[in-house]
Amino acid sequence: MRYGLYLGCNMPAIRPDVERAMRLALPILGIELVDLEGYACCPAFGTFPSADEIASLAISSWNLSIAEEKGVDVVVQCGSCYSSLRMARAKLLKDEEKRERVNELLGIAGKKFEGKPCTRHLIDVLYNEVGTEKISQVIKKNLKGLKAVVQYPCHTRFPSEVLGFDNPGRPRMLKEIVEALGAEVQHYSRELQCCGGSGGFARQAYQDAVKFTKKKYDAMKNETQPDMIVVNCITCLMYMDKIQKDLSKEGEEFSIPVFDYAQILALCMGFDPKEVASISVIPRDKIIEKITGAMS
Amino acid sequence: MIDLTKANHHLWKEIMEEDAGDIRRCFNCGTCVSGCPAAEAETPLMIRRLVRMVLLGLEEKLLEDGTPWMCVTCTACEEMCPMGVKPFEVGLAIRRWQTRKDETYIPLSTTEVFQTGHTQPVEKVGELRRSLGLPEIPPTIAKFTELLKKFQAMLRETEIVKNNDYMFKE
Repeated sequence: MRYGLYLGCNMPAIRPDVERAMRLALPILGIELVDLEGYACCPAFGTFPSADEIASLAISSWNLSIAEEKGVDVVVQCGSCYSSLRMARAKLLKDEEKRERVNELLGIAGKKFEGKPCTRHLIDVLYNEVGTEKISQVIKKNLKGLKAVVQYPCHTRFPSEVLGFDNPGRPRMLKEIVEALGAEVQHYSRELQCCGGSGGFARQAYQDAVKFTKKKYDAMKNETQPDMIVVNCITCLMYMDKIQKDLSKEGEEFSIPVFDYAQILALCMGFDPKEVASISVIPRDKIIEKITGAMS
Repeated sequence: MIDLTKANHHLWKEIMEEDAGDIRRCFNCGTCVSGCPAAEAETPLMIRRLVRMVLLGLEEKLLEDGTPWMCVTCTACEEMCPMGVKPFEVGLAIRRWQTRKDETYIPLSTTEVFQTGHTQPVEKVGELRRSLGLPEIPPTIAKFTELLKKFQAMLRETEIVKNNDYMFKE
């Protein structure tokens, strides 16, 4: 299995420990990662897609053309990168006029888009290509005795016609790959509520976004006893971690450690927590100690 | 009171693109709003309201409405719409129309992506990256100056950059 590793902008700049976790853990599962040298922003929906559609499609196809040159599909963790790259490809394959215009633009840079490479989300690759059995087999430590809740990235669910791989209304793949590490995954009523961190909402009306997210955390606290939240999207990771500090200002304390899936996977494989899980707002030391101390 | 004699009855043709579906099918059921995170804001994003504004041709009101920019881009609305309209794409199309009409709507992040290729300074966290065992600069466009120049040359030929070239600096 060879995939072009598309990191996006946030991960290599703000949470590079997740990048390190992916680079270390995925090859153990038989996933060979190929760097997409010279890739740019996907582009994020708040940038060129909000200003000029052709420019936006040109940037997406710039990125996809790099994978095309290398003959690989793309694997991505960030939800909005996944959605942006995937929607752009679908639009370009459907619309010959746009494809021609985009190829004229790419031609200026000596590139070409044919639309061969498919963009896959990491959850999809782990569940459907690697499989839960293999994950359980290769790990050296496990999460037995730990309770987790999971956060499905919205951008991997909708629109399911273009980018779905799991059941959009009742997703289960992230839960199952977390269970493959030995954790108990608990369900709560607002499990599928968007974290609220992406796009303009939290930027333009932060206090309103905090209220929205508080409903989610209240439900989580009342209905489950999570030792950790497991996500697989860089925005979910940063937002669900950081916001707990602001939620706690209103009295009740929220301090549930948040991990990206690649991070707990890498920890279960025995990699150094200082490299794969060192950046967070809510301290994660206790959980990391439990994992690194646990024997498989 | 809305004076429809002053409305621009061709507005929907100016704004809507094929990818957004046919907004004339919208009967204002509100499914798009019911699952929308940003609809819970004090000044809510009400996508069905925006669709009405486009269909009625309320150009001036729409131009000063900032709510399309509240979208979290989760795209649940597109999944739910019973009439095959793509409300998420409607929101993006309105944003693009607004930026064409009024350059102050152009997100500054577009100029950052033009200048550096990214929305975050991926090339400025070398020490942190090295401490994790990663190369100081990730293998992105930030590492390859020649590619960044080609990227900018490509974008120079797009409408948004051509029409607002003073904003896009290398």
